[in-house]
Amino acid sequence: METGLTSHGSSTDILAVANLPILWILVIGIFAAIVVQSLVYMKAAKKAAFAAGISEAELKVSFRAGAIAAIGPSLAVVLVSIALLALFGTPAVLVRIGLVGSAATESASASLAAGTLGAVLGDSSYTQAVFVVAFMAMSLSGAGWMLATLILTPILRRGDSRLRKINPALMAIVPAAALIGAFASLGIAELGKTPVHILAVLISAATMGGCILLANKTSAVWLREWGLGISILVGLTAAYVAHVSAA
Amino acid sequence: MMSETDMARSSSATLADFDRTTSRWGQATMVTALLLSLAAPLYLVLTQDLGITSAMIWTAYLAVAAAFFVLWFVEPITYFPVLGPAGMYQAFMIGNIANKLLPSALIAQAAIGAKPGTKRGEFSALMAICGAAMVHVLSMLFFVGIMGTWLVSLIPNDIVDVARLYIFPSIIGGVLVQLVATIKQPRVTMIAVVMAVLVLFVLVPAVPDLAKAATGIVVLGTALLSWILRSRKTNETATNLVN
Repeated sequence: METGLTSHGSSTDILAVANLPILWILVIGIFAAIVVQSLVYMKAAKKAAFAAGISEAELKVSFRAGAIAAIGPSLAVVLVSIALLALFGTPAVLVRIGLVGSAATESASASLAAGTLGAVLGDSSYTQAVFVVAFMAMSLSGAGWMLATLILTPILRRGDSRLRKINPALMAIVPAAALIGAFASLGIAELGKTPVHILAVLISAATMGGCILLANKTSAVWLREWGLGISILVGLTAAYVAHVSAA
Repeated sequence: MMSETDMARSSSATLADFDRTTSRWGQATMVTALLLSLAAPLYLVLTQDLGITSAMIWTAYLAVAAAFFVLWFVEPITYFPVLGPAGMYQAFMIGNIANKLLPSALIAQAAIGAKPGTKRGEFSALMAICGAAMVHVLSMLFFVGIMGTWLVSLIPNDIVDVARLYIFPSIIGGVLVQLVATIKQPRVTMIAVVMAVLVLFVLVPAVPDLAKAATGIVVLGTALLSWILRSRKTNETATNLVN
């Protein structure tokens, strides 16, 4: 890349900047915000339980049911997160993939951001500077969801009739189109890279297809939750074999 | 003894109090998380002397925003009826809403026989999301923060390098198929694929300046064409699930 990057900025040792202690401290702060929020909410719910027609025992049952139901999906997210550690470092993965966003949106944002610098995630063009710009772009994109929530929630609460009257057909089609449009574009862009990239996309897609078919046939819910993790691992393994045998 | 109207009045006051507390704390904690999450990359930009210019950041941001800005607004609107105001501040901070928080909330409501949309349902969902949040925070910190970092340090460098190179294509293939299967709108899918192929392999090679805007063009084009070419016969139900 012929940019004004310093020699430091063009180093590909991502983890040297991605694992700085101060990032860990900020991450702990975000986790603390979530824990504080939950504690305040639980206390408030306990106080208002009677007025809401729910007993304290039922609040406890709900908490436990939610916690148990989250174990499988949480571990599935853990698997995907670990696969991304080498790309973004632990603090960025904890914040971006574990919280706030998801593996899909955040890695998509990173790929788009890297693309604007003429770089590809993970190869020799993926320098410290590219990582930092990608991390910034992911965080700003995540901020978009949070800001929209902060702005829209009070409006929706007042039961703003304009928002509720949005044409249901529009709400069915536009989000679906925006989602599939974004990810189809990113997926098909990968097909313009190396043959191993193409292989990784196709194998991952096929594995997910298999997981979904099997989940529908056997009604195994866990296959849905773990589908993405399994697809990533199978895709990566295929890519590794192809990469090593081509080298 | 309180009369029935007094009871009703005091219970609506209690609920108003609950709404106030959860809104205030929900907003405060979300703003805190928002600022901390921006502080992390900003710290790297400002202190690491990597030669990053603000133009680079804005260009990257525009590319990402073009792809996702529709979803920023549509997702909160879609989830509001299920989550309720208090739950909104939880869900959009914790993330993984469709794959984890909503199922947790529904299971909890079923466990105590509460209907979504009632106060009982709202409280049950809120407690369930708190439970899910605790499990998630603990499992992320322990399995990813501690074990994951250690695990990656054990794996030989050449494997880590290859994994880094092909992680994105390995994610995107699975994500795309998952989306297509969940959303179940074949017409939209067809339009998206055709748009993407045309933009990436015809338009961009012809006008290379458009490369950075490619995904944004595909998103807008797909949304517009899907709307114009929509089927007028069936009523499709709202779906959207990335976070």
